[in-house]
Amino acid sequence: MDRRAAFFLAAAVVCAALVPVSEGFAWVAATVSAVYLVLALGSWLDARSHRRL
Amino acid sequence: MDFAVIFVIAVALGFDYVNGFHDAANSIATVVSTRVLTPRIAVVWAAFFNFVAFLVFGTAVASTIANDVVVQSVLSIGVVFAGLIGAIAWDLITFWLGLPTSSSHALVGGIAGAAVAKAGFGVLITEGLRKIGVFIVLSPLIGLAVGLLITLAIYWVFHRNRNIERLNRGFRRGQLVSAAAFSLGHGANDAQKTMGVILALLIASGHLAPGSDTPLWVVLSAHTAIALGTLTGGWRIVKTMGSKITRLQPVGGVAAESGAAITLFATSIGGIPVSTTHTITGGIVGVGAARRLSAVRWGVAGRVVWAWVLTIPGAFAVAWLTMQAVDLLS
Repeated sequence: MDRRAAFFLAAAVVCAALVPVSEGFAWVAATVSAVYLVLALGSWLDARSHRRL
Repeated sequence: MDFAVIFVIAVALGFDYVNGFHDAANSIATVVSTRVLTPRIAVVWAAFFNFVAFLVFGTAVASTIANDVVVQSVLSIGVVFAGLIGAIAWDLITFWLGLPTSSSHALVGGIAGAAVAKAGFGVLITEGLRKIGVFIVLSPLIGLAVGLLITLAIYWVFHRNRNIERLNRGFRRGQLVSAAAFSLGHGANDAQKTMGVILALLIASGHLAPGSDTPLWVVLSAHTAIALGTLTGGWRIVKTMGSKITRLQPVGGVAAESGAAITLFATSIGGIPVSTTHTITGGIVGVGAARRLSAVRWGVAGRVVWAWVLTIPGAFAVAWLTMQAVDLLS
């Protein structure tokens, strides 16, 4: 897996893990987690397209 | 107002002054390194926006520090003093060790340590500390994500532009705005932490009723102290910081500072004390990550993680010991 995608995925997991303990701010942790998930997917697709070129 | 209260207020404002002295580098290093402004003019720029932040943001962060870390009944002049000494001592220790510490987290750890030394762990407000703890992790990650998304948006908007010279000129000017925004966020979040300490002290000493708003003189003195710190000392550190991040182009500077500023604005409005150093580090890492991961200085990022782990327990321990000494002496 692309290192950048792996980093973003790890960030998404960390933020998701914070959701249950972020009382009152759970939506912030969830939103940031979702953003990192999208970035991980985008980064993985970017790396895959580069490999194919 | 008795001498002890005035003395502890002076220590709190001294803490604020040192904060401005050190953190000025974060907001103006890129402006200096790209030679948009000279170091002297850059610190005046940052100090001005540090000061005027009180006109834009409320005092929600101050209220969190004063009311949501430890129960108010345990606060006394001795506890606030020991907490401040813990935070200052921890800042100096980590400065000597070269760790990018957070004054904000040191302050929270210091107040908590001094209060626990006086009355045990039961005085800690779990909900408030949990909120602060969650944002210790979230704020750099938000700064990183916003910095990265702004970088990508800029690349996407300007990718057809072939006039690089003109584009760079535009972003050099843009750095004036982004550095001002970051200084505004820095002034708002960091000056309010000192306001919170002074507010707690005034409540503890009976000068204000519990639940009172922050008096205007406290707001003005905290912003003056942080702005003076930026003005008098910042430029010497900026020289070092500026040369360390020369690889950051004007476009990256705009993205990193804007990402960090947005994070600081949101957390200041939400009443959440966060580290400005960690937030701008997140923004810079985000700019690097938009290109490739090897463009990121992971050594610096790793040191930030260590600072996360160590700051609160470290300041807690120093403040705990200071409180024991204060108790013995009194």
